[in-house]
Amino acid sequence: MTNRIKEFRARHNLTQEDLAKKVNVRRETIVFLEKNKYNPSLKLAYDLAQVFSVTIEQLFIFENPIENE
Amino acid sequence: MKKSLFVLLVATLVLVSTAIWFFSSGTVVKSIDLLHFGVILLVVAFALFLGYKRWTSEKRGEPTEDELSKKVLQKTAAISYYISLYLWVFLLWLKERIEFDSDELLGTGILGMALIFGISWLIIHFKGLAND
Repeated sequence: MTNRIKEFRARHNLTQEDLAKKVNVRRETIVFLEKNKYNPSLKLAYDLAQVFSVTIEQLFIFENPIENE
Repeated sequence: MKKSLFVLLVATLVLVSTAIWFFSSGTVVKSIDLLHFGVILLVVAFALFLGYKRWTSEKRGEPTEDELSKKVLQKTAAISYYISLYLWVFLLWLKERIEFDSDELLGTGILGMALIFGISWLIIHFKGLAND
């Protein structure tokens, strides 16, 4: 799974620290998320999507989604 | 702030008691003692590093713990426990072959566990938890 957090953060003119404060995590967690070194919980993914006013699917890219038959 | 101060207090206490032990033992310092002191210093340095990280997070107005730090701690605890079992088996095996005081054995085991925990934390923390 990859994500577009860095891209959306830049669009919203937010620093990593600002974003961390908005979703109540440490700045380090945002760094790890942007480097794809950590997959967030559903709650954090939802909070991040809310900050950028997008859906979770727009923010996170699932490489091998389960295909509906 | 309270937790950061607590970490600092514990680290200071460990350092002071180690210094008292070192200077008041009166006996000749053996190489195993030097190894123990070295490991104690490493553990204290690790605790101070964690305390500093926590303090800087507090200073920036961020939470000191979040879901990533908790997950890193959980994985570290699980892995270091597993590796520690092998350490104790190795030490018991070594006891049969090398003359070992039971106090020395316990001290080495406990310090070894602390060292394993610290190394595991560093590896997991810097490697990240992708796809876990």
